[in-house]
Amino acid sequence: MDPSGIFSTSYARDRALIRTRAQWVTLALFIGILLIYPWFASARLVAVANLMLVTSIVVVGLQITTGYAGQINLGQAAFMGVGAYAASVVEVKAGLPFWVAVPVAGLVAALAGWLFGLTAARIKGFYLALTTIAAQFIFHFMVLNLPSSWLGGVNGFSLEPARLGTFLFNTDRSLYYLFLVVTMVMIFGAFGILRSRHGRAFVAVRDDDVAAGMMGIDVAEAKSRAFVLGAFYAGIGGALWAYQVRYVSVDQFTLFNSIWFIAMMIVGGLGSIMGALIGTVLIRGVQEIITSLGPDLIERIPSLSSDLIFASMNVFLGLIITLFLLLEPKGLMHRWNILKTNYRLWPFHH
Amino acid sequence: MQRNTFFKLTAALAADLLLSATASAQTTTINVAAFADFAGPYANVMPQMQGGRLAVIEWWNKEVGSKLNVQIVVKTYDTRYDVAQTASLWPGIKAEVKPALVLGLGGPDAAALQQRLPEDKVAMLLGTAAYGFGWKPNQWVLNLRPTYPHEAAGFLEWFRATKLEGKRPVKVAIIASEATPAYADMAKGLQSYAKANPDKASFVEAIWTEVQPTDLTLAVRRLVNAGTDVIVIQTNTAQAVATKRALQALGKNVPIMLSLHNGLAGSSKALGDPNGFAGDFEVGAIADASESDTTARKFYQLLQEKYGLKSTWNAMTVMGLGQSIVAVRAIEATIKSKGVGKATGEAVRETLLASQFTGNDLMGILPGVDFNNDAPFPTGTAKVNIATMKDGKVVRSAGDVTVPTVPKW
Repeated sequence: MDPSGIFSTSYARDRALIRTRAQWVTLALFIGILLIYPWFASARLVAVANLMLVTSIVVVGLQITTGYAGQINLGQAAFMGVGAYAASVVEVKAGLPFWVAVPVAGLVAALAGWLFGLTAARIKGFYLALTTIAAQFIFHFMVLNLPSSWLGGVNGFSLEPARLGTFLFNTDRSLYYLFLVVTMVMIFGAFGILRSRHGRAFVAVRDDDVAAGMMGIDVAEAKSRAFVLGAFYAGIGGALWAYQVRYVSVDQFTLFNSIWFIAMMIVGGLGSIMGALIGTVLIRGVQEIITSLGPDLIERIPSLSSDLIFASMNVFLGLIITLFLLLEPKGLMHRWNILKTNYRLWPFHH
Repeated sequence: MQRNTFFKLTAALAADLLLSATASAQTTTINVAAFADFAGPYANVMPQMQGGRLAVIEWWNKEVGSKLNVQIVVKTYDTRYDVAQTASLWPGIKAEVKPALVLGLGGPDAAALQQRLPEDKVAMLLGTAAYGFGWKPNQWVLNLRPTYPHEAAGFLEWFRATKLEGKRPVKVAIIASEATPAYADMAKGLQSYAKANPDKASFVEAIWTEVQPTDLTLAVRRLVNAGTDVIVIQTNTAQAVATKRALQALGKNVPIMLSLHNGLAGSSKALGDPNGFAGDFEVGAIADASESDTTARKFYQLLQEKYGLKSTWNAMTVMGLGQSIVAVRAIEATIKSKGVGKATGEAVRETLLASQFTGNDLMGILPGVDFNNDAPFPTGTAKVNIATMKDGKVVRSAGDVTVPTVPKW
């Protein structure tokens, strides 16, 4: 719903993502803050932001597959791993620069996503969930058992820093700008996809795949496409992760990571790109705050043992997520949308 | 008179305050960052290791640091044994704490930082045995013990010499898992040793199973039928227990060689029989948690009595003690050679690579440490202790057994 007094007078205006001057100003301010952030934030906060940016790309991909197309995916970390390994192979074995490695990583992960998307055309629900868990294990065993000259085997891959000409992305600050640009492009792309006929097909399939089929949507293809897109995003995120840590090994992409990605998406709100971003920032932020709080508490209250404090911190993290799911199961974006609608209708209730 | 006394007392107090202020002003603080896992897979054993780490620092600060006017301050961070958490924590630690050394916990810490530490010029010490995939030159992540296959090879040569009287190669099998690269690496390294030493060891089979297997009877039957002399399990307690149950079900008694983190006492407890692993072995290139009255045990008792060490005498505590004792000796040697103000991360690493710490320097916790640029773990001084279980107690079978050469895999 648009704010009171805002009317679209053309189709282009009606389809616009940013619809009011106030929204433009807010967006410009937000981007401005993001651009100057690393100059004011501490080294730790810049590193945290880098991690959030990479994770948010992966979670936005999951949002497309699960939140929009309704295809449950418990293997997003595996697709991220495929991307990380693909980028490593492209850089280490082929000697190609990162700006080739990152898109190739996305494409290779998308190919893996397509393979699993084919199964989604035939099965759904718990069966699909199990199939995507299989993706996690297949990735794992393939990396460990293929000849180590191919994917590094147990040795993993060590990468050189990303390089653009003579400029090296070897500091947290430089990586921040690289990740910010890629994340912005990916998010803009996600909004574009979801407003296209493909996005509408995803939502139709999610809401009722039988009805969607009767309306002329190729359900199998839509499901498969959702997996391809979700995995592409995961692959790009994985490639960026590889350039951040500069060491890739198979145990960095576990089922546990996939579950965290789902938690981020649910906390933010299913079926919303902004929800995926907010969920990522919130969960990652709470994790980081709790991790930082531990050592400070130990210093201030030395009578408490470190194991007690750290264990309590993590119980607290679990409690926050549980309470959140109990009190706001539709996610933060749902609450935000209610607030926004009420504000726009005010002082009228209907 | 009273006024004179008052003046004298005031002057004495002022002088005392001035002296103590000067002394405290001269005390230099050296920061060490410690990674811990109080909420991840090692949460249950972390307090033991952490207790060992902190008690040694406490001891050094009082016994050595006070004389050098140096205090080592440890700041602990819970990384949850997670690469992402370590990666996000590190830039802040580096900027705020400026550590001279990092006490890491395991693979995820090494994975997250192995490319960054050389640039940030800070070394990391790990208390576990090393892995083949970390066996590269010029490393900044250093393990106190050689690789798991090195430790197993040391045991196999001892077993062959003492139990088989050197007459034939030991028939060895390993139970591991492909769930993590670290577990897979153990099997690959052992195969590499057996391949290079056919006169000493004959590799029967690597049983790949789940991390927490329920039943291994069929696989173990295969090993028994192949005449296996020793089954090596360096992964975890669950695999050790499943193997023991399989052997019991088959009515066979093939000795099992365990590592320290899944040692005899812990595995027996998990089996539900305090003497369950009687006749099996626990091997590590660090002091064993046996009942023997060793130098390491005496040092542990000193820390218990005077420095508030509450951790019990077990493998995790020993690893914590080992990590810290090498850390403080490295910092001490750096201070002595370069001066108090120059104990930077880079200088401490240089000392670690250039020095040879003896077993005495390390209070018997480790046989000695001699890092070099070719391998991120001790090679020349590496020796393993072998312990067995007797009447529910862990007792030493052999000490300071030389670790043989294992080809890189």
